[in-house]
Amino acid sequence: MIELENVSKTYGGHAALSNVSLKVERGDMAFITGPSGAGKTTLFKLLYLAEKPDEGTITIAGCNAADLKSSSIPLVRRNIGVVFQDFKLLNNKTVYDNIALTLRIRGFMEREIKERVHSVLKMVNLRHKVDNYPLTLSGGEQQRITIARSIVGEPTVMLADEPTGNLDEENEKEIMRIFKQINTKGTTILIATHNRALYKNTARKVFFLEGGILKGEEE
Amino acid sequence: MFSLRLALQSVIKEKWMSLLSMLSIGVMLFILVSVAVIVYNVEKLTARLPERLTVMVILKDGVTSEENKAVLAAIKAEPTVKVVTFVSKEKALDELRRSLKKDDFILKGFADNPLFDSFDVKIKSEGVRVDDVKRLIQKIKSMKAVDDVEYGEALMDSVYALKSGLRALGLSIGIVFVCSVTFICYTTVKILFYRHKEEIEVYKLLGATRWFVRAPFFIEGSIIGILGGVMGSGMLMGFYYYFLRKLVADIPMFTFMSIPVQFMYLLPAVGMLLGLGGSVLALGRLKY
Repeated sequence: MIELENVSKTYGGHAALSNVSLKVERGDMAFITGPSGAGKTTLFKLLYLAEKPDEGTITIAGCNAADLKSSSIPLVRRNIGVVFQDFKLLNNKTVYDNIALTLRIRGFMEREIKERVHSVLKMVNLRHKVDNYPLTLSGGEQQRITIARSIVGEPTVMLADEPTGNLDEENEKEIMRIFKQINTKGTTILIATHNRALYKNTARKVFFLEGGILKGEEE
Repeated sequence: MFSLRLALQSVIKEKWMSLLSMLSIGVMLFILVSVAVIVYNVEKLTARLPERLTVMVILKDGVTSEENKAVLAAIKAEPTVKVVTFVSKEKALDELRRSLKKDDFILKGFADNPLFDSFDVKIKSEGVRVDDVKRLIQKIKSMKAVDDVEYGEALMDSVYALKSGLRALGLSIGIVFVCSVTFICYTTVKILFYRHKEEIEVYKLLGATRWFVRAPFFIEGSIIGILGGVMGSGMLMGFYYYFLRKLVADIPMFTFMSIPVQFMYLLPAVGMLLGLGGSVLALGRLKY
């Protein structure tokens, strides 16, 4: 579950978020939308604990972000899968090593890592690319690898910031198919996008953000 | 294991920078250990100096045999003294005459024996320091029947000053070079850290702890330190085989010189500690 209560965040006198409250139920898939500069990225930074709010409370993956010690943040992040528009893959590592990294950080044994990596690669239909390096893959493939990396640790919450921003329609559909599949397994998903087509036929809940203020939500 | 693998991969990937750091550390550790070798050999040489000195205790004119015996007993009781021999003024004159050989006519100018009764004191060879000898001399000088005490004071004082100077110089050079080696490791690790900054960002997003992020850099700093130390040991071995061994064989004056074998093993360990220290300092205050 993701819950924000009266959250505000200011950068140098400019309010990036003002008094935002929203709730995404466990196992739900929701979208957050708005024009550029609406505060979507700030909201995501707060959600994956890269920053702390100036005011308000954030509950994510069962934790109150305000109460977290900095030493606990990595452990909470292991329950949050993150997908970015620019992928953030390590270009000097193979697809296998990029995905395996999530599990190596958690101290998994190599045999289990192998099983899990092959299983998620199968899910995103890229098993045959296991030994490739990211830069030899298309944008859509790289994003699927990023998704595979974020779900291999079986997080309870998944955050995706403009996951289809650089992709064509075909890849967009494929990415959304994967998200739906992940969601059916019980993972709570929050996707930030300004692409209306993306949430039009998919979403159960859409939040509209503008100028750092939550303008409304649609069920 | 994963941290070790990452560290090794990074050392290989950044091979030129790593090699340059190792070489710099190697040269610095070699200079550091060379100073230590000099200090060690001077210490070794001067440690046996007291045994080579003979202390001559000159007695006052007209000392009674009781007083004479009392002085003898007091000197013999000193723990630093090995042998005490009484030399009467007659015996001293005979010896002087023998040493002068044909020039002994000089002594004919004296109506009486101009020499004094004395004691020759030999110092023990083990565990006696220059300071102990100085204390002994002061004690003997304060005895009532003793007129004066002669020994190689000037030599001992110069050696003592040389030793103290060398120790201070060795310590200063040691501190400077230890700081330099630590600084090289510090800089190398910091550069490597910034080169991996994007990678570290991804690690953090995936839930890596501070320790997980830092461990490869600590290991990398230690590896650079160890290999730098190995290079320093190699240089020391080269110095021994191609220079010192020949010097000792050709010039007898330097036969006392040696390099303790422990120094060879010690350098990689010192390198590792300094490498680790540099890495800890490099990452200590970084926020990530």
